[in-house]
Amino acid sequence: MEIQYIGEHLVFGKLGNAFIILSFTAALLSAFSFILSVLSKTIEEKASWKKIARMSFVVHGLSVFAIIGTMFFLIHGHYFEYYYVWQHSSTILPVKYMWACFWEGQEGSFLLWTFWHIILGGIIIKKSSEWESPVMITIMLIQVFLASMVLGLEFYGIKIGSNPFILLRNHPDFANLPFIHLPEYLSKIKDGRGLNPLLQNYWMVIHPPTLFLGFASTAIPFAFAMAGLITGKVKEWVKPALPWAYFSVMILGTGILMGGAWAYEALSFGGFWAWDPVENASLVPWLTLVGAAHVMLINNKNGTSLLSSFILTTVTFLLVLYSTFLTRSGILGNSSVHAFTDLGMSGQLLLYMAFFVIMTIGLLIYNRKKINPHEEDEKIESREFWMFMGMLVLAISAIQITITTSIPVINKIFGSKMAPPANAIDFYNSWQIPLAIIISLLIAIGQFFKWKESNLKEVVKKLSLSFIISVIATALLEYNFSFDRYQYIILLFTSIWAFTSNLDYLIRIVKGKLPYSGASIAHMGIAFILLGSLISNTEKQVISRNMLNVDLGKDFSNKENILLYRGDTLAMGEYYVTYKGKEKVGVNIYYEIEYLKANHNTGKFEKAFTLKPIVQINERMGNVSEPATEKFYNKDIYTHITYAEVEEKEIKTEDNNYKTPVTRTIAIGDTIITSNSLVTLMSLNKEQDKKLLFLDDKDIAVGASLSVVDINRKVYLTEPIFIIKGSNIYTKETEIPELGLKFGFNKIIPDSNKVTITVFEKKSNSREFVIMKAIIFPEINILWIGAILMILGTWLTIVKRIKNIKSK
Amino acid sequence: MHIIAIVVIAVALAIIVSTISNSSTYAPFKTAIDHTGSTFHIVGKVNKNKAFIYNPEVDANLFGFYLVDNEGVEKKVIYSGAKPQDFEKAEQIVVVGKMEGGEFQANQVLMKCPSKYNGDQVNQISISKNASE
Repeated sequence: MEIQYIGEHLVFGKLGNAFIILSFTAALLSAFSFILSVLSKTIEEKASWKKIARMSFVVHGLSVFAIIGTMFFLIHGHYFEYYYVWQHSSTILPVKYMWACFWEGQEGSFLLWTFWHIILGGIIIKKSSEWESPVMITIMLIQVFLASMVLGLEFYGIKIGSNPFILLRNHPDFANLPFIHLPEYLSKIKDGRGLNPLLQNYWMVIHPPTLFLGFASTAIPFAFAMAGLITGKVKEWVKPALPWAYFSVMILGTGILMGGAWAYEALSFGGFWAWDPVENASLVPWLTLVGAAHVMLINNKNGTSLLSSFILTTVTFLLVLYSTFLTRSGILGNSSVHAFTDLGMSGQLLLYMAFFVIMTIGLLIYNRKKINPHEEDEKIESREFWMFMGMLVLAISAIQITITTSIPVINKIFGSKMAPPANAIDFYNSWQIPLAIIISLLIAIGQFFKWKESNLKEVVKKLSLSFIISVIATALLEYNFSFDRYQYIILLFTSIWAFTSNLDYLIRIVKGKLPYSGASIAHMGIAFILLGSLISNTEKQVISRNMLNVDLGKDFSNKENILLYRGDTLAMGEYYVTYKGKEKVGVNIYYEIEYLKANHNTGKFEKAFTLKPIVQINERMGNVSEPATEKFYNKDIYTHITYAEVEEKEIKTEDNNYKTPVTRTIAIGDTIITSNSLVTLMSLNKEQDKKLLFLDDKDIAVGASLSVVDINRKVYLTEPIFIIKGSNIYTKETEIPELGLKFGFNKIIPDSNKVTITVFEKKSNSREFVIMKAIIFPEINILWIGAILMILGTWLTIVKRIKNIKSK
Repeated sequence: MHIIAIVVIAVALAIIVSTISNSSTYAPFKTAIDHTGSTFHIVGKVNKNKAFIYNPEVDANLFGFYLVDNEGVEKKVIYSGAKPQDFEKAEQIVVVGKMEGGEFQANQVLMKCPSKYNGDQVNQISISKNASE
């Protein structure tokens, strides 16, 4: 008997599935039609196949939009009968983060990738005239593969893709739970798992789409390269592909930098780049892409470096597929912060990589006569030579990062048990810093060489101005920073020279003409990125050094966290820091950390600024810490909570466990210090309401007016009373429950104007504390300025390359 | 051109050798004990029946716990850093460090965020060794 489940909205899932199958078949039809259009002999046949191809492209595109729309509808409606909705969203999630839910999961991110290809494909169709059909062949083939990643079909135990519309009750994790086959199971599912708290910020809304557009765009130069091989026009593809190559450089570069900015601003890595495997996986294709874009320029100018252009555009695309494989196959397991779980699709991804490798090699062999690799070697005094060298350095950099990051893959293939280097960051830096030195040198000198041949003396002469300025600047900065490793000093010089040399070129040679400034500005940007990274990373200073050192030996001498009791002030770097207290807003707990500076003239502490790092409570996934940063023009002070108590300490009023009371004899104006306040005797008050105290007129009652100031400078007033009734002495005690304090007025000492006050403190006044880390990142703004320059410069280049095509 | 190809291949080989020689090894406690003084990656489960040692008032950068490796061997681990937030929820973890005097001195603790149904994200908590040392 069919179970009728209550409350399910099954029609949407069925609709979504229909669109998935439609998008897959339409992509297949479109790919074949474009192929047949290219292979056709007559113009009429070409045109008619192209028409079919375009129409099926439109159907494919619209079905993908429908899939995405349906998923949004389900997420927005909180239809938890769908596994994807349950896994990535919840009812308490703010609407602005629903985009983030969409691409938090693998299926959503594949759809995002597919979406961008449709947009880019649309532009290709509109703008590429005779190149449209051959280029679209590759793009539609990629679309077929991407569509298959969300199919979720199973043939004889082989799983193809992972369907985003799978129902919760059919998912293997839920299918065997006892309640899931009750008709009313849906009412037992109160809420979804929700979005990982680390991902609930605006970065998760903008970084993945940008990064995926970057990945998608690497397919275009590759598609042009394949189009050249398919049509036999092995040289002509470069010119129209150039603006696309630089577009990809710009977008992918932006996406990667956004990732760094996110890590720096909101995550507690303590930096913007950690050589994390997933970070590396996105950087490596960008490096080869920049190499490809530069050799394509060489080819465009004088026809050489054709084979390199083919190899690098292909390698870039394959590396994007490989990075997808690395991050989604679960193979990274324990070695990366980003790693997703294996959805069983790694076999599929490997299959696609194999397909494109075979396709490229096959087409290259087919065209081998037209691609002549035995070119004349470039002269050393030519721009081409140095650009080619630059590409090689980028390739070596990419190879090093790939091999080290792929240790888990190597383990799988060879059965080894290697773990990543114990000190991964140092290891990567040991290779990448020398390579960065060489690259920045090449950036410095490259543009001053002319195409084909230059006069070496002329080049040296033109470079000397920026060289001298850079030497002086380096000396000044080195004096300021005192780098302790010679490689840093060299990189300091080369990155400064790369900046000044390109600025010089921009001013003296290009004379500031914007259309021709792209290269110079982009190079200045890269130089600043390297410079900013160098200074902020090597000179980064952990100012929260723990004073109480238990020495565990040389390797373990990092005491980077500091304990701060609430109300205490500790010295940290050039500041004095106080933990004022915490405040809970929604799921976030804000810890107020006040930074003070000592004013040497007045001898007082002045508040410099306040930071409020956060701990976000998430019962299901664990609490996460979010840093807070104070930005100055020349440095950032970054603070995050490593450990804190998140529960409120209950003040149990029935708990009368007081510590041994403190009894002091004081005069008016004197102060008693407790663990959380200052108690000052303001005055003695003889005006007491004796009726209220059940006293006669003959009895004596005197109140001690006390002002109690806590660490937040909040003032409490309290007045314990000293009573003499008949021949007995009493005290009426007063309490301040918020501070866990009780006061008694026990004695008046005649003829001395002094009184005896007793202060009781609750034992449960144990002190609240946080453990935090504070780091100073000097000159980090240089890095962000560099990022903006690089994006601007690349944009100008794209514009120039598009003009180049039109002017032919 | 061919010289360049040879140079690139030579550099690639150098990279491979360098990576392999710098790589650490996943090993059980037994191996770490046999090679006391060398750094290893040890995968294991935290023994939640034994109390954690953390007195931040004394030293905020000293955290002790007991770890059971995949061979069932249990050792005390001393991590020279603050107690990671939500350490109680950690399932499988990886510690990086070396054996010293019967205890494992760790300078990195890698935790996988727990999830009842499918472990998704991994948290890496580590202290980066001061690069200028």
